[in-house]
Amino acid sequence: MKTTLTRRIFITSGILAGTSLLLLPKSTKKAMTIEPFKIIEAVQEVLFPKGLQAPAASEFGAINYLAVVSSDRSFVKNDLKLLKEGAKKLIEQEPHFLRMTPQEQDQALRHFTQSKLGQNWTSLLLYYTLEALLSDPIYGGNRDQKGWQWLHHHTGKPQPQKPFGVRL
Amino acid sequence: MKPYDVCIIGSGAGASAVAHTLINAGKRVVILERGDFYREKDFSKDEIAYCKRDIVTPNLQESYHTIESFWQGKWVKTPTYITENSFFNGNVVGGSSNFMSGYFHRLKPKDFKLLSTYGAIKGANIVDWAIDYETLEPYYTQVEQQVGVSGSVTPYAHQEPRSTSDFPYPPLAEHPISQHIDKASKQLGFVPYRTPRAILSQAHAKRDACYYSNYCGSYGCSSGAKGSARAALLQPILDDPNLTIITHAFVKRLVEKNKEVTHATYVDTRTHQEHAITATLFVVAAQAVESSRLLLNSKSSNFPNGLANNSGQVGKNLLFSAGGVGTGEFDASIMPLGDLLQEGLFVNRSLCDWYFTDTMKGGVIDFLFEHANPISQASKQRWEGGELLWGERLQEKILRKFTQTRQLNFEVFNDWLPTDNCFVSVDERYKDIYGVPVANIRIGSHPHDLKVGRFLAQKAEAVMRAMGAKRVQSAISPYPPANLQAGGCRFGEDPKNSVLNPHCQAHEVNNLYVADGSFMPTGGSVPFTWTIYANGFRVGEHIRRLLT
Repeated sequence: MKTTLTRRIFITSGILAGTSLLLLPKSTKKAMTIEPFKIIEAVQEVLFPKGLQAPAASEFGAINYLAVVSSDRSFVKNDLKLLKEGAKKLIEQEPHFLRMTPQEQDQALRHFTQSKLGQNWTSLLLYYTLEALLSDPIYGGNRDQKGWQWLHHHTGKPQPQKPFGVRL
Repeated sequence: MKPYDVCIIGSGAGASAVAHTLINAGKRVVILERGDFYREKDFSKDEIAYCKRDIVTPNLQESYHTIESFWQGKWVKTPTYITENSFFNGNVVGGSSNFMSGYFHRLKPKDFKLLSTYGAIKGANIVDWAIDYETLEPYYTQVEQQVGVSGSVTPYAHQEPRSTSDFPYPPLAEHPISQHIDKASKQLGFVPYRTPRAILSQAHAKRDACYYSNYCGSYGCSSGAKGSARAALLQPILDDPNLTIITHAFVKRLVEKNKEVTHATYVDTRTHQEHAITATLFVVAAQAVESSRLLLNSKSSNFPNGLANNSGQVGKNLLFSAGGVGTGEFDASIMPLGDLLQEGLFVNRSLCDWYFTDTMKGGVIDFLFEHANPISQASKQRWEGGELLWGERLQEKILRKFTQTRQLNFEVFNDWLPTDNCFVSVDERYKDIYGVPVANIRIGSHPHDLKVGRFLAQKAEAVMRAMGAKRVQSAISPYPPANLQAGGCRFGEDPKNSVLNPHCQAHEVNNLYVADGSFMPTGGSVPFTWTIYANGFRVGEHIRRLLT
């Protein structure tokens, strides 16, 4: 795909912790710029914080998941564009977002979602955060099946041995 | 001598029924399948791969459709790579039957005579079929045996005649909620109908029985229990030296000389190299939309509007299934939570009492639990009215949804009336990466479809409420389910207003057949798959006799 390289620009080895790094093509590991994914990571923690029983986005590997799936050709390329553009818009509107307390971040995000663009962006990011929570751990999210365990969900068998439906 | 007796384009239900019949008769068959060959071991219950990405369908940047809908007074085409709403359905060996849920209903005798039974409806191109139910009945029975249908016959007013007393496989294990549907239906004077399923309740030959994975519809089956064309009809003949399956073969056009197809030109989707296949006879069965597209794109001096299309009928009277969906929520007030949340067991209940009414053709209501897919379930919770939820409120809502409740759904199936505004066409301005014009699908539904759908949805909602469901609601839509396609190459006696003769042979091209759902002039009020299988066996039998 012609667009593959541009899709990978914002993915950085600094974000990619753990075994899922092995799933990525080598070129993905080269860092270009970290910023949009840093913002996205912070917002994911607001969208899905540590709860009484619920695992936080950082615990189940939400940003790691996004890095893995967005580097695959099956990812909707426009979604990645929207995610990155929205992150930039949020920082334009809330320049101190990364240094705010969780309560301030929540308020800032509420303010941001007053606009149609802000709401669409937050909804899209929340969607991919929930994908990370409840997809098979092979994609780097749902770490230690924390998402499934929280909801007492038993996944269907067999689980995938390879990601993205690749034949055995 | 030509290398093959028959070249079949596509490998789904219709294609495989033809192939199975001809291979068993010793004919040399080549199947051209656009996608890959996934076997049981390749399938997994991966929601991302099978429900959330285009893995077993073409990447929409590479191939797509344009959807033509009526917007502000005119018809507007929108490519599906923009909407991300794919109209491809399972481009692998066995086709979309790999991913079906397998709710199996036969058509009824009066479905073959809709015009004679109910008369014309203004704006709808209703006709009687070129064959009757009795002609297709033996093949419906063959499907029960060879594809495998589990269930038990429910006597009710519109039960179609059967040549055997019951289904060859006993019913699948059922969830206790089915008894609640039975009770509520009987209270209301309705007949609870046990839904036949194309899923083996007992092992047969090399296919294992259903193992109740809880991840069924949209997923490939890992035991071979689901009656996909691949598991049921192709795998048993795979070792036959007369069968050749070429995968990654996208057929660009059929080439004709003196009104006979001479060869199929296909491109290998991995190498982009073109190849040609010659055969005595060609069978197109690529699912309705793509079959019409192939004929429309196969232009020649004899057929300037597309192969077998001097009538202008190719692509016309495309059908989907009309109707919609509804839901109701249950909690511990109906039964102990442990029972309610029990996974894997089937609901297998339908209501067919209004398949025919005195005044109009009705349809079928199928009950089913919401699919297990946790991403889909959770992500629906993020909206409450127009408000986007996140944080603790969202987490509480998701937790309750998964651990305290279960959603029972119903699906309404009624006839999608054929109209002049539902068809497949091609447009040189929109091409795939192989340079072939993609199918444009104009989607115009008849208002009558909504009226029937709403009538049926009210009946289903009444059952839900009688069961004690909360938040009962339904949505009847003029927008079609992309996976339930038929029509586009009507069969009939008159070459002026049909593409195929009653044998599904092109009126204008002797060695060309169409064997998917394209032949259907009206669709009936049920999922098409059983009828496509049955007709595939019928067409296969006709070709077998022709070649002998």
